[in-house]
Order: sequence, then structure tokens, then C-alpha cells
Amino acid sequence: MHFTYNADKSIWTSVLGSLLSEYSIFAPFRFDNHLEYSAVTKNNLDDIIYNQPKPSSPLKTFFLPVKENVTRSYAEKDNRIIIGIPACDLNALSLLDEIYLNKDYIDPGYSHYRGNTLLIGCDCHTINEHCHCTSYGFHPYPDENADIVLSRTGDNIILVPKSGKGKIFLKNYFEDHKKESPEEIQKIEEIRASVEKQLEKKNKDLPGYKQTGNLIIQSEEDIWQKYSDNCVSCGACSAICPTCSCFLFIERPGFEKVRSIDTCQYPGFERVASGDDPLRPLFKRFRNRYLCKYVWKPEKFASKACTGCGRCIEACIGEINKNDLFKELKIKVTSET
Amino acid sequence: MTAKTAELYKPVKAILTRVITESPSIKTFVLKPEKEFHFKTGQFIELILEGIGEAPFTPSSSPLVKNQLEVTIMKTGYVTGKIHNLREGTVMGIRGPYGRGYPLEQLYGKEVLVVGGGCGFAPIRSLLYNIEAEKDKIKKLIFCYGSKTPQDCIYKNYIDHLRGVDKFEVLRSVDKADETWEETEGVVTTLLNDISVTVENSTAVVVGPPVMMKFSVQKLLEMGYPENKIFLSMEKNMSCGLGKCGHCMMGKYFVCKDGPVFSYDEIKDQPDIWN
Repeated sequence: MHFTYNADKSIWTSVLGSLLSEYSIFAPFRFDNHLEYSAVTKNNLDDIIYNQPKPSSPLKTFFLPVKENVTRSYAEKDNRIIIGIPACDLNALSLLDEIYLNKDYIDPGYSHYRGNTLLIGCDCHTINEHCHCTSYGFHPYPDENADIVLSRTGDNIILVPKSGKGKIFLKNYFEDHKKESPEEIQKIEEIRASVEKQLEKKNKDLPGYKQTGNLIIQSEEDIWQKYSDNCVSCGACSAICPTCSCFLFIERPGFEKVRSIDTCQYPGFERVASGDDPLRPLFKRFRNRYLCKYVWKPEKFASKACTGCGRCIEACIGEINKNDLFKELKIKVTSET
Repeated sequence: MTAKTAELYKPVKAILTRVITESPSIKTFVLKPEKEFHFKTGQFIELILEGIGEAPFTPSSSPLVKNQLEVTIMKTGYVTGKIHNLREGTVMGIRGPYGRGYPLEQLYGKEVLVVGGGCGFAPIRSLLYNIEAEKDKIKKLIFCYGSKTPQDCIYKNYIDHLRGVDKFEVLRSVDKADETWEETEGVVTTLLNDISVTVENSTAVVVGPPVMMKFSVQKLLEMGYPENKIFLSMEKNMSCGLGKCGHCMMGKYFVCKDGPVFSYDEIKDQPDIWN
């Protein structure tokens, strides 16, 4: 680790409070039985949740809002800070960046929001039922796309800059608290190792990212028929997926264009003028999302299209568990070969 | 943010100056853009009907003409139905051009075989305009065009023109002939039995409905065309045109950005290429 900033939590929250006049700040908060990214105000600074696994909605909604007028001007200055982001959400940005910041066509809105947002990631100090980031080669702590990584150890907040933007931010607001913190760092490393171990143990039977792609290629229709039997094409799996980013356009008067999130799980997603629709059968739509994530996107992009957050399993009203599917597929394919 | 980025989703406005009825279900819309519009043959545009919707079309006019654009549209759905009802004077929007067009450099020095079906003649016409302007660069061109009935044959005057162009040979077929039809009856692939072409020095371009392209490719492979010398313009649900929205994914390809023109060897292993 590089140099660190180490401050008592009360100091951290008071600085955050003072930043509210300059920045819109967002962080995870607890609502009933789940976490959600929400706006930080002077009244809820002490309620911010640190070092817990993912909020229910993914980080992508900050960069790809559910509906966005993409023909509007992006001249306004609206600096944002998002605190408490788990690694699975940060890792997902790599793929979104590849798609939306592709040098041929840089998306104006995405680029604006990315540029104006400071990302403060958090290590996960616990795991949720369906977390499986380590199965796909990720860690339960941020190592990509964060500007700053935050860990809470007791009453202390430890901040490590990860980008130029993060360094400048900490220099501007926390310079007085810059100090070597070997004991805290040691503690953080121990938690990281322990959480990683828990995840590996829990998901020991789950095939890895590349292996999953190979299994899908070798799969027969029957397993997709079986698992899609409970699917009602609601699209929740895509909506809460941190990497799913397909959309449709809605035309508005004045040649304005609104981008609205869409998913291959909806009927008619690929339908062409002649009426042909390769994804008309439900099982094909259901399978398409996994082919896209584990087979096609890896052929086209350097970044992974599933970061193992497990939200799709939590969100499915048909209680479809894609990890059960892949474990079953692994057994099936292995026994056949 | 660069100017290019800020303008990414903003269209060029264009006035509809003329509507030409080509067949009972196909019309050509002549548009005058507010500024010069450049495209390469085989690239497509998104044509916007303000406040209603947009749809992808490959221009049917010559890419060498910059101040006017023609789009030939079959009435098949919601947006195309609305467009068919438009009157001259309507202001429309154009986004693009998008994608990879026909590989002209692969046609130079060759006997070019173009196989078209139905409304696939629209993008082909743009290609033929382009090749006609550069006909010194090719050995010869054979155009085989199939449609369902004689009434469905489009661009009748243009066919007459093509028949008078040096190095060009035009053959037509209809699935079901009537008493007025004096050319071949049968699917478009039957025309391929009668052509005189040196396959080893030929490149083929196929554009039409998926089933027609499927059988045409089969026939061309039987004739000995290598897979990388058969070029197809793929029909998918192109929406953003930028390789982002996902609607036109065909396996690992975004058809809008990686295509829509592909060589057969590029796409043969991808799923659902014919529907």
C-alpha cells in the first residue's frame, strides 16, 4: 500500500459534512433489510454504511440513469462523490467504460458523469449469501476504478488514494491526517484474507468465469428449458446487473432522444422489420444473457461481463439461481465427457 | 467533451422533397439534408420521424451524391408505416452513417456477382451507382435479382438503364410469373445456373431477405466461391448504430458497428445469422 490517511470517524464525517456545499454525495444506507445508495445529507452522515457488500441497486445507475435525455447539453458542473462502493460494482465499470467510452463513439452523458464523480470504494468485511466475486478472479476489496479505498477499523477511517484524482482530493481535504498506519493496514490485510477465504470456501463448486463460458458452449437446450421454466421475462436480472447496459431510444418532439434501459430478456428485443425474432422462445432469451456475459463479451472486450455480485439471484422473482445452473451444468458436462 | 461527443445523438435535419412509389409496399423517399451528407456504399443511417421513432436503412442513392439522399422503404411495421404516410415537405432527421459498407477494394479487378432479393435491391442500387462510376476498375458485373411477383420488382427504369451499361449484365427472376413476365420464373438462385462467371476471379455480394441469403450462400459455396469472397449485408435490429445498445448483437458482433457487411467466413459460426 502507498501512504495512507487515518482519521477518527467523527473527523471524517465532519469533513464530509463540510463538503456537502461543493459536492452531491451518495453512500449506502440501510432500508429495512437491504442497503441502497442514497443521498448524503447533514442529518444522515452518521448512518452511512461502510465495508458491507453491495447495495441492492448497482452503481451503474449513476452513470446510465434508467431514463436519460441523451441529446441534452452536459455543460453543468455537478461534482459528485460516491462512498462505500464494493469491488463488484467498481469492477463492472471496466466493461461499461469499454462500451460507453469507446474511442469511436464516446457517449456524452456517461463520459460527463464519469468525469464528475469521485469513487470511494470500500473493502467488504462480510459476505452476502450469493456473493461470488472470487470465483471470477476478483477480490472482495477494490483494486480497479476506485479513486480512494476506504476501510473502517474500529473508530478509525483509513483512506488510501488509488488515482491522481483521489490523491488530489485527500491532499485538499485530509492533508493533516496523512500518516503511516502499519497496524491498521495489517488489520485490513487480515480481514481481506479472511473474507476472501470465506468466499472461496462458500463457492468451491462454482466453475470459474472462462470455464462457465466453455460449459455454456457445450450445453444442450434442456438445462436452459429447465431453468427458464420459472422466468417471467421481468428483466430484473438485467436491471440490477452492474454490467448489463443495453438500452432503447424513445423519440421526443424537437428531435430529442431519451435513452431507456432495456434488456434481451424482454420479448421483441432482437425482432427485425420482417418479423423474425431469434429470441422469441423464452429459453433462448434466458440463455442469451449468459451467452452474452460468458461467451460473446469475452471475445470482444478485455473486461469481464460478470463480477460475481449475485444480485441477479437475489432479484429473481422466479427464484432462478444461475450459480445452481452452472454447478449443475458442470456436473452434467463433466459426466458426459 | 469534444464537439463530436456532444453531437453523438443529434441528427442532421433533412427535408423530404419527393416520394416515389416503387411497388405496392415499397416507396423511395428523396431527402435533402441541411448540410452535405457523406456515406460509403453499404453503410446505413438511422432515419428519424420526429417524436415517433427511428429505424435503420441503407441509402439507395449514390454515395457520390452529397446533397441528396434516397431511402427506399418497405412498409413492414410501426415506424415504416408512419413514414409511408409522409408528405413532401416533412422535416426528418438522419443519424449516421454507421458501420462498415461494401468492400469496394475487394471488387476491383474482379468479375463482380451481385445477388439481390426483394427490398435488398435498395442497398444494392447504391453499390451499383458506385461501381458504375468506377467501372474501369472491374472486369464485369453480373446482377441477379429476384422478387416474389412482377409487381414486386422495384426500380424498373433503373433496370433498363443498367442493361445499357457497358460490362453490366442483369438477370431477373420472379417466384411466381404472370402473362406480362418475359424473364426467368423461379427463386433467385436459379439465375445462378445460367451465368458465365470465372469463380476464381470473382467476388460475390448478397443482399436480401435472410432465407434468400441463406440459399444464395449455399449455392455460391457449391459453385466454388471461397467463404471470404462472399459478402453479405446482415439484417438485425440496429438501433443506436454505435455498438452500445445491444439490439443487433449477433454472437460476438455488434452488426451496426462491426457490419452490417460481413464476409461469410466472419459470421458463419455466429448464432441466428439467418433470422
